[in-house]
Amino acid sequence: MRIDYKINDKFDFGIFFTSLILCGIGLVAIYSSTLNNPHAAGNFQKQVIWGIGAYIIFFAVYSLPTNIFKSISIPSYIISILLLMAVLAVGKRVNGAKSWFGFAGLGFQPSELANITTVMAMSVFLSRKNIDINSFKNILIALAIGLIPVVFILLEPNLGSTFIYFAIIIALLYWRGISLFGLFVVLSPGIVAIASLFGFSYFIIFLALVLISLILFKQDLFFSGSIFAINIAAGFFTEYVFKALKPHQQLRILSFINPSSDPLGAGYNAIQAKIGIGSGGLLGKGFLSGSQTQLQFIPEQWTDFIFCVIGEEFGFIGSVITIILFFYMFYRIFKLASFAKDEFSSLLLIGILTVLFMHFLINVGMVVGILPVIGLPLPFVSYGGSALVVNLIMLGIVANIYRTRKNYI
Amino acid sequence: MSSENFASSERKSIVYFFIIGTFVLLVFRLFQMQIIEYTEYKEKAANNSIKAIEQVPLRGVFYDRNMNVVVSNVPAYTLRITPAEYDPKLTPTLEAVLGVQPGYINKILYENRIYSKFVPIRIKRGIDFNVVSWLEENSEHLPGVDYVVEMQRGYPAGIRGSHMFGYIREITPNLLEKNKDYYAPGDYIGYSGIEKAYEKILRGTKGYNYVMVDSRRREIGKFKDGKEDVPSIKGNDLVLSLDEDVQKAAEEGLEGKKGAAIAIDPKTGGIIAMASAPDFDLNQFSYVTSKDYLKKLYSDPDKPFFNRATMAALPPGSTFKIVEAIAALNDNIITTDNTFTCRGGQTFYGRYFKCDAVHGTLNVIHAIEHSCNVFFYNLIYKIGMERWFRYAKLFGFGQDTHIDIGNESSGFIPNEQYFEKLYGSNWPKSIMASLGIGQGEVSVTPIQLAQYCSLIANDGVTYTPHLVKGYLTNDTHKLVPFTFKKIDVGIDKKIFDIVKQGMFLVVNGSGTAAGIKSNDIQIAGKTGTAQNPHGKDHAWFIGFAPYDNPKIAVAVLVENVGFGATWAAPIAKKMIEAYLLKDKLKKDQSNPQTELKNNLIGASFAH
Repeated sequence: MRIDYKINDKFDFGIFFTSLILCGIGLVAIYSSTLNNPHAAGNFQKQVIWGIGAYIIFFAVYSLPTNIFKSISIPSYIISILLLMAVLAVGKRVNGAKSWFGFAGLGFQPSELANITTVMAMSVFLSRKNIDINSFKNILIALAIGLIPVVFILLEPNLGSTFIYFAIIIALLYWRGISLFGLFVVLSPGIVAIASLFGFSYFIIFLALVLISLILFKQDLFFSGSIFAINIAAGFFTEYVFKALKPHQQLRILSFINPSSDPLGAGYNAIQAKIGIGSGGLLGKGFLSGSQTQLQFIPEQWTDFIFCVIGEEFGFIGSVITIILFFYMFYRIFKLASFAKDEFSSLLLIGILTVLFMHFLINVGMVVGILPVIGLPLPFVSYGGSALVVNLIMLGIVANIYRTRKNYI
Repeated sequence: MSSENFASSERKSIVYFFIIGTFVLLVFRLFQMQIIEYTEYKEKAANNSIKAIEQVPLRGVFYDRNMNVVVSNVPAYTLRITPAEYDPKLTPTLEAVLGVQPGYINKILYENRIYSKFVPIRIKRGIDFNVVSWLEENSEHLPGVDYVVEMQRGYPAGIRGSHMFGYIREITPNLLEKNKDYYAPGDYIGYSGIEKAYEKILRGTKGYNYVMVDSRRREIGKFKDGKEDVPSIKGNDLVLSLDEDVQKAAEEGLEGKKGAAIAIDPKTGGIIAMASAPDFDLNQFSYVTSKDYLKKLYSDPDKPFFNRATMAALPPGSTFKIVEAIAALNDNIITTDNTFTCRGGQTFYGRYFKCDAVHGTLNVIHAIEHSCNVFFYNLIYKIGMERWFRYAKLFGFGQDTHIDIGNESSGFIPNEQYFEKLYGSNWPKSIMASLGIGQGEVSVTPIQLAQYCSLIANDGVTYTPHLVKGYLTNDTHKLVPFTFKKIDVGIDKKIFDIVKQGMFLVVNGSGTAAGIKSNDIQIAGKTGTAQNPHGKDHAWFIGFAPYDNPKIAVAVLVENVGFGATWAAPIAKKMIEAYLLKDKLKKDQSNPQTELKNNLIGASFAH
């Protein structure tokens, strides 16, 4: 195979510049939303410093030999699990959740690091030779890899991040080629769990659907019975988890189920976010001129509600450009994953794509009011150092795989 | 690839379409919010973050015809509490300082609990200056307590004008419902008198200061440095046709009595004075009226709120003889050559009607002079019910005068149909004799009589009676006059000359009001005594002066006192003198009141 030594064959400028522009948009929005807020003074400067550090790490990851990712997958996964355990013991409580390590004035969230290490560990497991992905045992192992971090994250408690892990599990199993029945086995407890949030009758209806599906799949009785039992357990587990949630988190979920129930309570941020974006119109109110943003109607807008700043101050045009940049990036990763020469790289890329895409979807979906308010940052754009570093580590891996994509024959 | 299913092209397509679908969904959602529903969200955002603070304009003041301020604005102090900063432990102390009942503050705070805790709530208006000093001294120990200066009505001229000026008060829910386009809860609105009738001119136009607020509705600065602010526009000042001195004479004359006194410039219809007694103290209404004072007013059997000048409908007594004379003279039923003979009484339709004296033979002029009943008993039978009714209506009786402050009674003039309905077609014609001298089932208001007197004085032409001449422009202080409807009864001057001659003799001859004869002014008039079956008679007097060129027409009513000449005529004389002998009276008194007036707010707009 012909090897092209041109620089753009070795370095994915498309992804690099897209991320750089997104970081730039993020800085503009952070500047705007923190300008009049004494509590957030210095956030812009901090983000710039984090950004510089993150891009240094990006280039470091880019330069690593590609096969190192496979060998460090399991150790780094174990380390991140240990960090998740440690943070529960000695972590810093921010907004009611014990999910941060604080040192030298900078915060670090192990759950963000655990995203990529979980993806790596699962990719290693799923890319083993001659693995039968549809065997119950292998599905359970894959689920275990993905759900161990979830247990610790739920204990923090940090509801939003857990969605990412479910998405990773499903996406990687799907990409790996799990059968429809296998996917059903994985998915059904999750669907039943979410349904049970809406009330007991929904729980029963979905449980009945699961039962009908199991009959239609015509698997052996013991297997089907186990699946059904897991589904029932999932429903009650959800109730248990829901009760274990902080009241504000319960309210967030309930306010999505019935958004108008409490306009100044749990739904307040969602309403203010929609007003901010909607009032931006076609061209936006202009930089530093968004009344919703400048008057701080949304607390800590520079983190999870950063997209509102873009929507309000730069309008439909600004929002759509931002979305196009994201989708261009997703497209590039997806394309690379589709043509990657080995299964591990392909799974790793899909895992990374899932992490970034799910963050993006949940975040934007939340601020435009089509998804519940789940506290997840918008990759590259939201204020937050550790998330930016982890996101650029992931992009570094993407760029690394791109660099060596033709080396594996 | 170890598995056939690994990233199969089918699965790739599903992922691909999932991503594309998400993209389309988000873009569509943004299009929906930012393009389709843009206006809706924009409005929400505007309501959200930019707060408009109303600027209440200064209310227009009232000038009298000589440009003396009669109703002004004076600063008053209002105590406020901002709940978010307020320490409830201060309540007992504050209540003691304000001199209010315990629980007063909590009640007001409770009533206003729906508003943001950062919005100051008015606790008490018109607090003493002593309290203000105390607040200043102790401000550091009184978090969330402050005071603001607000304007309230002042009455610097030493006249009361209660019914005429009227008062302002906080808008009632009913009124608010009807006037939602301008008013907000808590706004003040003209509630009676001129304040009510000219509300739209007096109130000015509200202004708005736009401020930015944060999510807790706290003000955090001006919006666009105040560039979008709309300044309030001061209400226009009114110039009344009122004369302060005449009003004072009227009020003094009615002091301790029940009745009304009105003076009109017959050439313009402008009301020079209008008083009704008993009245009330407008100062008590300038902000919050004490419940005790209101209770006292409402329980008073003499009804101080009742504007007798426009609402008291009573029989006109002998003052009504003039219209009868005009009817007879104008329709050539009699001339000055026709006479009747008075023998102290006469029988009509089987009933004997008496006269005050034996007047002998007299013509219409002397019949007016002596107010001879027998002459007018005979005259009404001569002119007939229909004509009598028509002429009464022509002179404005039995209908509203449409005085600018409204709130009037139209009185009652009976006609043949009325009596037929009441007593059948064979109604006792003896009733007519009573009507001929203004007694019985006929009632008029003081303002109607004043207008009637103006018509006589000015030979049948005048204008709708009014208190306000016009308003002053805010910038140039030019008078913009209002126009009023001309009233012309279409009767020749020589008819009026005859009756006026009689009215002249009433005062200057050997007539019923000879007691008010003046050496300085030639006054003409007519007394009247309305029979009162419930007690003492009501005294009337109508008059005008100077006789040869009338500048003032007066109607005075004093209830339950007896004879008109004794009680009503002297008040009328004082009013006429206050108007026509102004300079002479001023020299006599030389009091320093005018300087005092100019010290008060509003006076600065005078010149």
